[in-house]
Amino acid sequence: MIKTILRIALVSMSLIVCATAFARPVSYAGGWTLIETSNRASSAGLLHYTMNYNLSVGARYEWQRGSNTRVTAIQPTFLAKRWFGRDYQANLYFSGGIGTAERKIGGIESSETVKFVGVMADWETRSLFVSYEGRRMNLGQLGNQTMHAARLGWAPYEGDTGALHTWLMLEVDHRKHMDERTSVTPLLRFFKGPALLEVGYNLSDPSPLFNFTYRF
Amino acid sequence: MNKTVPLFIAAALATSAFADDDKQEMKHHGDGQMNHADMNHAHGAEHDHGANHEPESHEHHAMAHDHGDMAMIAATITHTNEISAALANGGAPVVVDVLGVVCDFCATAMNKVFSKRDEVAAIYVDLDKKTLNLVINDGSDLSDKQIEKLAKQAGYRIAAIRRDNEAMGG
Repeated sequence: MIKTILRIALVSMSLIVCATAFARPVSYAGGWTLIETSNRASSAGLLHYTMNYNLSVGARYEWQRGSNTRVTAIQPTFLAKRWFGRDYQANLYFSGGIGTAERKIGGIESSETVKFVGVMADWETRSLFVSYEGRRMNLGQLGNQTMHAARLGWAPYEGDTGALHTWLMLEVDHRKHMDERTSVTPLLRFFKGPALLEVGYNLSDPSPLFNFTYRF
Repeated sequence: MNKTVPLFIAAALATSAFADDDKQEMKHHGDGQMNHADMNHAHGAEHDHGANHEPESHEHHAMAHDHGDMAMIAATITHTNEISAALANGGAPVVVDVLGVVCDFCATAMNKVFSKRDEVAAIYVDLDKKTLNLVINDGSDLSDKQIEKLAKQAGYRIAAIRRDNEAMGG
């Protein structure tokens, strides 16, 4: 019952907003963050609560469109290291998750335990951005998945607090389990206050990218 | 799936890395100039306040790291309508140099954490100056240690704190 409610809530949010895996996955102590991603492989929603400056715990729902697999999981994320400078910030995160994966095979619903681990790293100034994200997911009898994605970003101007910030970004991803293993997605990132919106289009595996993050 | 187990353990162990950094003390200095491409670097020796030093008892004001040609004037308080109104009501200005402030999420985090405090009459995070600007209610106090702790809760680190005249540029 709880799983059903959780799923309905996350799917509902997914329909309203979409977000990014590259938005910081740990917020301030006591803060909530909604991160939703929609790309060539999947649509996913993650709602997390930051318990401490280096730990968040969230509920994740992911729909992998190609295989029509639905993943529901609990996802903790650790900020392992943050490097501070006057003009830059860099972060190293580790995440994991455990839950269930469901897929209909031959008209029969199959359910498996899903486990995954991930690593994220980024370096950012007010006008330059570099990031990497990797994830290994085990779906039991439904297979394994490995994903790598890297980004480069440039802001044509430095917006001040509360102003609209605009970034031009290029994302390259590699997904071994997909027909088009490597793909390139140019995108625009818009950033204002607690909200972040990304819009792009995958050139190699034609499909839109639409991400959204909101902190509250 | 066995491959994932060591990775997850490594992830859990890695959480201590940030805590190690937190043990580094804020660098406090007495002059009014500063500049650092990276204020996180060491200057050879930590300053020593002696055996009787009580970290929470004294106020640390402006800092000075003189790197010759790179020196610049420490940032003063940024005036917004809210800041100016709070100052006009007798509030005390505080300017905090914060490391790693590069985006609006940083500003949002500090706004959320500091605005919960009753002592804070007004707040503004200036991304251009990389400063957290506070006005403390007349009759209230927020110590350097408390500010440092709140910044840590927001996920950031303090480089220096200036108060009163130094915060106003006087």
